[in-house]
Amino acid sequence: MRKMVTLGLAALMAGAMVMGASAEEQVDLNVIAAQYGQNTAAWWADFVEEFNAANPGINLNVEVVSWNDIYTVVNTRIGNGQAPDILNIDVFADYVDDELLLPAQDYVSEETYGKMYESFLEQSNIDGTIWAIPDLASARAMYYNVDILEAAGVEVPTTWEELTAACEAIKAYDDSIYPWGIDMTTDEGQAAFAYYTWNNGGGFVDENGDWALNSEQNVEAIEYAIGLVNSGYTNSDPSNDTRYDLQDMFGAGQIAMVIAPNSLPTYVADGGYEVNYAVAPIPCNNGESVSAGVMDRFMCFNNDYSEEELAAVTTFFDYFYDDERYSEWVLMEGFLPATKAGGEAVAAADESMAAWVDIVGSSKFYPTAKTEWADVKQGVIDVEQQALLGEDVQTLLDNLQAEIAG
Amino acid sequence: MKKKKKILTSIEPYLWLLPSMLLMAVFILVPIFEVFRISLSKVSKAGIVKGFIGLGNFQKVLSGSAFPIVLKNTLIWTVVVVGLSTLIGFILAIVMNNQFRGRKAARAIVVFPWATSLIIQAGVWKFIIDTDYGALNTLLMQLGILDKAANWTPTPAAYFAWECWVGIFVTIPFVMFCVLSGLQSIDNAYYEAATVDGATYWQRMFRITIPLVKPSLTVSTVLNIIYVFNSFPIVWTITKGDPANRTDTLVTYLYKLAFYNGKSGEAAAVSVIGFLILCACASVYMVVSMRKEGSDE
Repeated sequence: MRKMVTLGLAALMAGAMVMGASAEEQVDLNVIAAQYGQNTAAWWADFVEEFNAANPGINLNVEVVSWNDIYTVVNTRIGNGQAPDILNIDVFADYVDDELLLPAQDYVSEETYGKMYESFLEQSNIDGTIWAIPDLASARAMYYNVDILEAAGVEVPTTWEELTAACEAIKAYDDSIYPWGIDMTTDEGQAAFAYYTWNNGGGFVDENGDWALNSEQNVEAIEYAIGLVNSGYTNSDPSNDTRYDLQDMFGAGQIAMVIAPNSLPTYVADGGYEVNYAVAPIPCNNGESVSAGVMDRFMCFNNDYSEEELAAVTTFFDYFYDDERYSEWVLMEGFLPATKAGGEAVAAADESMAAWVDIVGSSKFYPTAKTEWADVKQGVIDVEQQALLGEDVQTLLDNLQAEIAG
Repeated sequence: MKKKKKILTSIEPYLWLLPSMLLMAVFILVPIFEVFRISLSKVSKAGIVKGFIGLGNFQKVLSGSAFPIVLKNTLIWTVVVVGLSTLIGFILAIVMNNQFRGRKAARAIVVFPWATSLIIQAGVWKFIIDTDYGALNTLLMQLGILDKAANWTPTPAAYFAWECWVGIFVTIPFVMFCVLSGLQSIDNAYYEAATVDGATYWQRMFRITIPLVKPSLTVSTVLNIIYVFNSFPIVWTITKGDPANRTDTLVTYLYKLAFYNGKSGEAAAVSVIGFLILCACASVYMVVSMRKEGSDE
């Protein structure tokens, strides 16, 4: 009996060695991807199966991680010297700062690189080098409840003056409705900062790309937003009502107007709400409405690759950005494409998306290429929340600017 | 041969203890050491340790405008939650120790807040007090007590008070069961003797009940101070420490520093500060209880 066990073990070990040898001929490729929705993991599982079948020399392994955990997971791996080969996430500047990434043109084929919108690639430019490539984008616009605006006898506002007047009229029509939704939470308060400052000619940075947080336009913009809250025109608790709370209230007809991403229709439909809504540009104070764009990326960590390994990375991106496969992915996730061909395909597949493809093309983006971005993001949220508690906007922004720009 | 046996018996207990000591070293001491190391190191946003910087992280944390608020909140949170839940838990235990119909059912119901996960509890309370869709407003409006939705959380202090209430609500059962176990071990003969001697209710309470349940009360209070001080889910679920750190405690603050702002070094420093505060509390307890043991001898 014992002899048989020994023999069996020996056979197993020999088998393992043979398998090990055959696995060694393959190139391992480890990817961490962000989970955008319910179907992300299943889509990637199919992708891996197809990819590995089509590329026998590569052993692709994709790990889909939720947005709540992805930063912790990635940082832990990096800390332990086990950085992934390819990462799909939003931020990248901190990794560049630690010299962990390879320049995009080292591993993306010319053909695939040429598919991207130039303006999107520029978002990953630090000191003249593009460090990441865009995977998808979303843009924001104002959604309004058609029935409420009609009943209150209000035209769709395009300027801040009209917006204030519209809020007043809606409030007079039914004061149980919040005319306007504002989210200044830790989740996404930086978006509110962008909506108001960009639409007042201000923003996070000046024309040279230097931090300009306490500009006159920014102070005016934040004071205007806080004024809307203090006049009782908004949801009662902007420090705690997240965008999802606002979208729910919009779906339930409790909020008349709200700035939201292009995925709002899906969100409202999934929530079982029946609301008669339409979409319009974000009201502005300087004649030019600016939409806020959000863009995520793929990046490649510098793990001392051999030529074959680097070629495997290139193959991965060529395969992923294949026009048909990529459009299918973007449509499945309900976002906006980052490639020109993808844009055409998405616009052709869904008419309502065509307008969004235009909007995202002219959007402004957060200055995520700057290493101070994480501090600025938290800083402007803090400013908004302090201002809501009655502190002076000018002083708060002066302090933040001094802290960030030194 | 005899000597050999003697050595074996003298080291035997340590051999038996060795596995648990090893486990403790690996899973408790190593992480504590790691946190101290990180708190004294410069850590990049991507999580790479870039060398020793002395007390730099502590300096940054202590000079930040949020820290005094957060520390004050943590102290209020711990004192209020532990103090009130101990008081209410004690009273409930006395009530539950009486003979009455349905006592078993009542005891089971009191366990519910304890048996439910903190996140669910906090989520439910957040839903109850919400201004726009909260159950409390809906109930009061249905009953005709309110004609318009009331804002139960108009200020950060109001939010914090609600969070303290949820903390108290979920801590009461633990105190109650600790005290109840103490009460049940008191021999009824004491009370009978006291009654014969003509002691009033309050005299029996202060001369018999409280001195005899004191050991269980001390244990529950010390454990509660540690649990409540380090409690994360309630504050995080209800306000995330917003607005502007006004409802943050040390634990939610360090979570934000580490996972929202990428400042692992400063987060570790806050963690060390919390650890030291708890160590100070624990050593006060040890000194007091050791002195008492000494005087008992």
